[in-house]
Amino acid sequence: MTRLSTGWKRAAAVALASVSMFSVTAASAVEITVWCWDPNFNGATMKEAAERYAALHPDVTVNIVDFAKADLETKLQAQLASGTTDGLPDIVLIEDYGAQKYLQSFPGAFEPLNSAVDYSGFAPYKVELATVNGQTYSLPFDSGVTGYFYRSDLLGEAGFTAADLQDITWDKLIEIGKTVKEKTGGILLPIDPNDAGWLRIMMQSAGSWYFNADGSVHIADNPVLKASMETYQRLMAAGISKPVSGWTEYTGSFTSGDTLSTFTGVWMVGTIKANADQSGKWAIAPLPALDGVEGATNASNLGGSSWYVLSSSAEKAEAVDFLAEIWGKDVDFYQKILVNQGALGSLLAAREGDAYKASDDFFGGTPVWQNFSDWLGKIPAVNYGIFTNEADAAVAAQIPNITSGGNIDEIIAAIDAQVRQQVQ
Amino acid sequence: MAQSGLARNEQVSGWLFVMPALVLLGVFMIYPILWSLWMSFQVGRGMAFSFGGFANIVRLTQDPVFIRALTNTLTFLAIQVPIMLVLALLFANALNDSKLWGKGLFRTAIFLPCVTSLVAYSVVFRSMFAADGVINQFLLFTHIISDPIPWMADPFWSKVVIISAITWRWTGYNMIFYLAAMQNIDRSIYEAAKIDGVPAWARFWYITVPMLKPVILFTTVISTIGTLQLFDEPNLIPSTPGAPSDSTLTLSLYIYNLSFKFMPSFGYAATVSYVIVVMVGILTLIQFLAARERRT
Repeated sequence: MTRLSTGWKRAAAVALASVSMFSVTAASAVEITVWCWDPNFNGATMKEAAERYAALHPDVTVNIVDFAKADLETKLQAQLASGTTDGLPDIVLIEDYGAQKYLQSFPGAFEPLNSAVDYSGFAPYKVELATVNGQTYSLPFDSGVTGYFYRSDLLGEAGFTAADLQDITWDKLIEIGKTVKEKTGGILLPIDPNDAGWLRIMMQSAGSWYFNADGSVHIADNPVLKASMETYQRLMAAGISKPVSGWTEYTGSFTSGDTLSTFTGVWMVGTIKANADQSGKWAIAPLPALDGVEGATNASNLGGSSWYVLSSSAEKAEAVDFLAEIWGKDVDFYQKILVNQGALGSLLAAREGDAYKASDDFFGGTPVWQNFSDWLGKIPAVNYGIFTNEADAAVAAQIPNITSGGNIDEIIAAIDAQVRQQVQ
Repeated sequence: MAQSGLARNEQVSGWLFVMPALVLLGVFMIYPILWSLWMSFQVGRGMAFSFGGFANIVRLTQDPVFIRALTNTLTFLAIQVPIMLVLALLFANALNDSKLWGKGLFRTAIFLPCVTSLVAYSVVFRSMFAADGVINQFLLFTHIISDPIPWMADPFWSKVVIISAITWRWTGYNMIFYLAAMQNIDRSIYEAAKIDGVPAWARFWYITVPMLKPVILFTTVISTIGTLQLFDEPNLIPSTPGAPSDSTLTLSLYIYNLSFKFMPSFGYAATVSYVIVVMVGILTLIQFLAARERRT
């Protein structure tokens, strides 16, 4: 009997505890939960936004939850698929490549923001990628406009100046890499053989993607894809790159001086500037362009993300208001996150602010933000479609073949077959 | 009459007692299994399903990623399980020696890996086998190799790393089964064999191994099932799950990708999971048949 009664007591205690947990949530002032993936970048900008909003609305607190990006994406997907909305946040950050996948496979899960946000004030390509059937679901956040980041001091030792890197092609860059290696022994680029990011950058720089505007597969007969792969193959054969594995090794490679440069999204500025001792030793040039391809430009995009409000959220109204008020209008806020986090937002009005016009001593006193803003306007718009993950996986599976000098036509045929198989 | 009433009463209360367990089993085990079987015939993206008949099975045969995942899984199975079980048997035999000093210490040391957390050990393996990790540094230092081995960047070496990792973790676990079974073998059999002049290797091969047959069968079956479901190590040790170039992609990892990473294709993912079920069934049956006692 004693044992039984203790058991009951324990069960009652657990029940009571869970009840009190619910009541605590209900009783407190409004709390907006946000999921994002980088405490030094988007997490930090969200924190700044939350502080600004809290100054205006003291009853609202923002709870920022950090995950690894891959974990956030799987967690969100699993939760949406399960049909229960209890564990979902109020606001979630989604990378632009995946936006259409979430919006189209989980209709009704996200809240359209058209009535709260004036989308004409945002970069059009960011708005378009979060629009389904005329409804726009995102508050556009950072751009992934690309640039070529290099150590001006170490390239200078081999005799190259900023002028040598303006609006060049990939083949010119390969020549530069060879000369640098000859003269100083330095390795130009770190390359992660499991990451298809380079291909996405090259393709979009010439206005192409894995998919056509209507979403159909555009791989086997895609001249830009072929040119990109051939370029990459020449790059790997030139002996000017160092293989790295994973993000930490990749960023560690160029921030430690092991490799001299990288081509990536503007959001890398924060990581590079974290090494204060390298101030003045870095510079940024436009992305090299593809050779002999129609529509090739020196501008492209890698990553970039936007904020979405979940329809299931109990604090939906507050979440929408928060995004609209700070992220949708506050020009001053965008200056601050640009300077502190290197976050290049998509609000066009923010470009007129002081921070965007200032030059940065870390990058040799050049007006880096002005440059990125200029390149941002030149990014060719493409349709990321809903199967970018599948296409990326198919490419990643073939990268060793590309690197080892395999026949590009055969490789593209294999990728095409795999992607066509997966997009159903 | 009264007695049969009592018997019925007992029967009823018996059922009542097992009812909670049965209900839970039904709700959390049998219903999901049947539901996943139903799912495996559904096609569609995300939550929009429709009945597709055998469409998913046709898709299996044309899917190069599935074939790759299946080949990898079977490679892991065919190489890792025999290595691990032979090692476990040898360790168990060595540590079964009653005169061995510090055997408690050795037993604990060999068993310890399977108590460690999967995530913790995977992270340790990942850093050990990094391009500039301890393994490469040691091999370079001792001049066994002249260039660092690209462990996790090469399709062949990445498989080697995964196989070593699973072997490291599970050998001790299987060894414990063998040790327990060895202690049940009557010592007098060995004494008689010794008196007859049977050498040590023959005592092992002709006495120990046949006496352990049921345990060997058991460990083979559970290791086969475990390897067919391999997920954690290929998910955690490579820089991206299944990397490089899908060379460590297993069926379980592919199921995960299909459900949670790619455009969700739950029906097809369920079909792939039934491939594992069927393979486990067939392999277990083969193992049972192979190990069946021959009646004379």
